[in-house]
Amino acid sequence: MRAAPTLAEGFPDISGMTVARQVHWQRWLAAAAILVVLAAIGRAFVNGQIEWTYVSRFLTAKVILEGITNTMVMAVLAMALGIVLGVVVAIMRLSSNPVLASVAAGYTWLFRGTPLILQLLLWFNLALVFPTIGIPGLWSARAVDVMTPFLSALLGLGINQGAYTSEVMRAGILSVDVGQYEAAQAIGMGRLRALRRIILPQAMRVVIPPLGNEFIGMVKATSLASVIQYPEVLHNAENIYYANSRVIELLIVAGSWYLLVVSILTPLQMLLERRFARGALQITR
Amino acid sequence: MTHISFFLGFAALLAATTAKAAELPESIKQAGVLRLTVNSTYAPMEYRDPTTNQLVGLDIDLANELAKRLGVKIVWSETPFAELIPSLQTKRADFIISGISDRSSRREAADFIDYLATGPQFFVLTENAAKAPSDLCGKKVGTTRSTSFPVEIEKWSKQNCEATGKPAVQYVPGENSIDVRNQLKQGRIDAAVQGSETLPYAQGQEAGKYRIVGEPFSTGYQGIMFRKDDTALREVVTEHLAAMIADGSYKAILDKYGLGANAVAQPMMNASTQ
Repeated sequence: MRAAPTLAEGFPDISGMTVARQVHWQRWLAAAAILVVLAAIGRAFVNGQIEWTYVSRFLTAKVILEGITNTMVMAVLAMALGIVLGVVVAIMRLSSNPVLASVAAGYTWLFRGTPLILQLLLWFNLALVFPTIGIPGLWSARAVDVMTPFLSALLGLGINQGAYTSEVMRAGILSVDVGQYEAAQAIGMGRLRALRRIILPQAMRVVIPPLGNEFIGMVKATSLASVIQYPEVLHNAENIYYANSRVIELLIVAGSWYLLVVSILTPLQMLLERRFARGALQITR
Repeated sequence: MTHISFFLGFAALLAATTAKAAELPESIKQAGVLRLTVNSTYAPMEYRDPTTNQLVGLDIDLANELAKRLGVKIVWSETPFAELIPSLQTKRADFIISGISDRSSRREAADFIDYLATGPQFFVLTENAAKAPSDLCGKKVGTTRSTSFPVEIEKWSKQNCEATGKPAVQYVPGENSIDVRNQLKQGRIDAAVQGSETLPYAQGQEAGKYRIVGEPFSTGYQGIMFRKDDTALREVVTEHLAAMIADGSYKAILDKYGLGANAVAQPMMNASTQ
C-alpha cells in the first residue's frame, strides 16, 4: 500500500478533480471560416460561366489524349537526356582536369543562365543560322528536316534540364563520405570504377527526392514547347479553344491531366526512393 | 434600392436609350478612360515601334482619333491573339480593335463593327517556284494557329485542290505572324498566309524577300468587337467612326499605312459573310 500523498498546509485538495479539456474555439472558428471560403469558391466555379459539358466532352477527346501522351513521352525522354548529361557534367565538374571542370561549369552557366523558352525558340529557329547541318563529307541535311518541333523540344528541355541535374548529381556525389573514396582506392579501384560501383549507388539515395521534384517540373515545362508547335496537351487544348473560344473549359481539361499525372508520379517516386534506400532503410521514412 | 429610385433609374435608362445622339456609357464617361486590349504582333495594324517601344499602327491611330473625339484617354493593355475575346468578355477591355476578322463563328461572343476590308493572302519567298495559288496544292502552308486562317486554308484547299483531284494543302501551325515568316525563311513551310493588309509592311521591312501569290482567297472585314449587351458604347463608336469616314480623317490614317484600298464606305455591323 502506498501512503496517500500528504497535502501541503493551506492548499486545497484538487486530486479528485477531472482535467477539463481545453476548448480550442479559435481552431474551430478558423476551420469553419476556411471551409466556408472553400465552399464559396466551389460554388462560384459551379455557378460561374463554365460550360461543364465541354469539360467532360473534351477530357477524353482523341486530340487531348494524344496531347498528354506526347507530354509524357517528351517529359520522360528529356528527363533521361537531362540525367545522362547531368551525371557526365557533374563528374566532369569534380574532375581535376581544368579543361573538363571549366567546360562543365560553362555548360551549367550557359544553360541555367538563359530562360528555357528562349532556348526552345533558339533550337527551333536554328535553321536561320545553319540552313544545313551534317558531318562534312559523310552526311548532311536541311536543318529544318532535322530540327523538327519534337527534336527542338527534346534538345531544349533535355539540355536545360542537364544543367540543373548536374548540380543535383554533384550534391549527391559530394554527400558520400570521403572515407568511401579512400576505401575504394585502398582496394585498388580507379576513380571511374569507384564512382560507378561505390559512389553513385550511394548518391542515388540522396538525389532521388530532388530528381523527382525536377521530373514533376519537367512534366509541366513541356507545355513551353507549345510555342514551337510540339503537340503536347496544352498546345492541343489551345488549338481547340482557338476554334471554339471555350478557354476556361479547355484549360480545366489540360490542368486535370497534369494533376492526374503528377498524382501518379508522387507514389512512384516513393517506391523508387525505397528501392535505392535498401541499405539505409532506418534513415528514410 | 427604393421603389422611387428604381423608377427614376429606369426612366433615366429609357431616356438614354431613346436619345438621338448616342452617349458614352456613364462608367466610361466618369472614368474618362477607355480600356483597350491589343495583340501587338501584327504590324502594321498594331505593333511596338522597334526604336521607341511605343504601341503604333493603324488600329492604334484609329482608336486614338476615336478617343479624342469621345473626350477620353486610352489605357492600353496587351494579350495574345487568342485572349482578345476573353479580354472583352471579362471586361478587361471595353472594346477590341486589334486586326481581328469579323467571322460568324466569333459573333456568338461579340458584335462586330466592320471598318476595314481584308482577306487571307498566300505569299512565298521570292525565289519560290509557285506562280498561282493552285501551285500550292500538296505543299506545306503555314499560318498563325490562333487565327481564323487555318480554317480558311482548309476550306480553300477543299474547293481548289481536292475538288480538282490535286493533293490537299498541308497546314503547318505557327505561333504568330513573325514565327510564320521565320518558318518560311527556314524552309519549314513552302508558303504562308497572313491578312492582306499586313503584307505591304512585311515586304517593306525585308525588301525583295517575299512575293504575293494570287489575290486574297476570300474577302471579309476586320471589325471592332463589342460585347453583345454593350449597345450604347457600340452606337457611339459607330457614330464617330462614320463621322471620321465622312470627314476624311479615316482615309488619311489608312493612307499613312498604304492601305487606302482597304477602306470601307461606311461602318457596317456583322457584315462579313463568313
